[in-house]
Amino acid sequence: FTTSLLLGTTMTISSNHWIMAWAGLEINTLAILPMISKSHHPRAIEAATKYFLTQATASALLLFSSMINAWQTGQWDITQLTNPTSCLILTSAIAMKLGLVPFHFWFPEVLQGAPLTTGLLLSTLMKFPPITLLYMTSPSLNPTVLTFMAILSTALGGWMGLNQTQIRKILAFSSISHLGWMTIIISYNPKLTLLNFYLYALMTTATFLTLNSTKASKLSTLMTTWTKAPALNAALLLTLLSLAGLPPLTGFLPKWLIIQELTKQDMA
Amino acid sequence: MAVAVVLLSGAPFHGGCCRHKVFLSLLGPLLSNSKLYSSYRRPGAEPKKKLSWQNADFSFKKSIDHLKTQLSLLTKETQDYLQGPGGHPLSQHVLEQTRVLWQFRSQEDLNKWVISSDVEIGGKSKVYIKLGRNNQAALLYGTLNTEVPRDGETKYSGYCSMRSRPAVGSFNRKKYYDWSNFNSLYLRVRGDGRPWMVNIYTDPYFSHQKDDLYSYFMFTRGGPYWEEIKIPFSKFFFSSRGRVQDNQHPVWLDKASFLTLGLTIGDKVDGPFQLEIDFIGLLNDRAHREEFAYETYDKN
Repeated sequence: FTTSLLLGTTMTISSNHWIMAWAGLEINTLAILPMISKSHHPRAIEAATKYFLTQATASALLLFSSMINAWQTGQWDITQLTNPTSCLILTSAIAMKLGLVPFHFWFPEVLQGAPLTTGLLLSTLMKFPPITLLYMTSPSLNPTVLTFMAILSTALGGWMGLNQTQIRKILAFSSISHLGWMTIIISYNPKLTLLNFYLYALMTTATFLTLNSTKASKLSTLMTTWTKAPALNAALLLTLLSLAGLPPLTGFLPKWLIIQELTKQDMA
Repeated sequence: MAVAVVLLSGAPFHGGCCRHKVFLSLLGPLLSNSKLYSSYRRPGAEPKKKLSWQNADFSFKKSIDHLKTQLSLLTKETQDYLQGPGGHPLSQHVLEQTRVLWQFRSQEDLNKWVISSDVEIGGKSKVYIKLGRNNQAALLYGTLNTEVPRDGETKYSGYCSMRSRPAVGSFNRKKYYDWSNFNSLYLRVRGDGRPWMVNIYTDPYFSHQKDDLYSYFMFTRGGPYWEEIKIPFSKFFFSSRGRVQDNQHPVWLDKASFLTLGLTIGDKVDGPFQLEIDFIGLLNDRAHREEFAYETYDKN
């Protein structure tokens, strides 16, 4: 399954044709489903079902968008998405794939039902192909819609993560919030989106791997990990602060650059 | 359609009053709002007198009062949200080791529970609930009757149960509770020696899991003394539609949304039963290290 995930991701990020990109996304979706439902617990099955339904819908919308563009313009090139209807449908499809507000409701539930390592893949590897598609089509997309979704994602990701007690759900809302930051700058400086994504993936990987080694899935368990691995706990503290975006840690860098770029665009 | 026309045109021979009856007899099954596959009503089920939309109350004043109640609930929920998870500070959530969920001190506490018995399938068991002496406990009592209703399809009968109403927030939204800090159910009861079954229904999202139930037994001692029964959640086994499943897994308590706790008696013994319940709560038993009591099978 891991090989299929890598295959699907590689297919999507290296494709120029919409059909290849769509096929890569579908391979990713199908490959991760058995990993989510590995434990066969009803909650895991529920998470897998929710994931499949949302991702299948998003894939269908993506294909529909590319077909409309192909019908209107006669070509299937990803970077040549010019039809406005196609752009709007693609925006909603990518938002659903990523978990941007208002298509974010599935993400915390799916992450909570999946094991920690699969959660890591869902938060990092599965975000890579849609971000790539967004990067390639960013000149054609409506900045207002993207900005609106990004601001809502950042705000709601922070607000809804406040009273969570399950760590996976907290990280899901953190992911939604970070995706908001990535999306808001994509129309003006797409390279900052990629920088934000790479740093976010690095920090999230570190967090998930630490939590996996200490088997901490809720806050009360996390409270007692310092007795078992004090150095790891200290490193986790720094990683979480970095994920939150506090200076002088790495996580502050993309936020600083994004705000600087937005200021230049008279938005901040 | 042609048959209907012929019959209707033939109706005047029988008199104008019969035309209406002929029409209804032809289209009755389609016009009736009973289930399309069966209109059989089980012996214990009450006949449906009113349609569901006819039960709606269109009173303006009541709707304004209801809206005010819901808005005040929403305000309280927002204030609780600002305070911390479950309306309590985070430190309380992280450090607490016990929590009382239901205690029976007033009629309001009793209203949070629903009692039922095999009367709903045509049986003859009786169950009642009332406040015990000095309003210090709930008394669940009645008579179990294992006589099978003679409807040709029921094979077993004789059960009585008491189930908690699921908690709803403002505007009838589901309330989510996190019970993952606890690992045992704690009940202070005084029974009559009869065995009970404790059932947990976690409201799953998809309809194919709606029959899933987690159960365990509660053996009461009887006698004049109260007993405190601790049932670890690791002991609850998984069943669906009343059948214990081969694939067992522990109950997840991180999203106890719409969770219903039920106490059922169905020990196939005719006669009276009685159970007094002081309170039902949760406990984090640090000495209990078991994760799951039953073997889980790893599939390929």
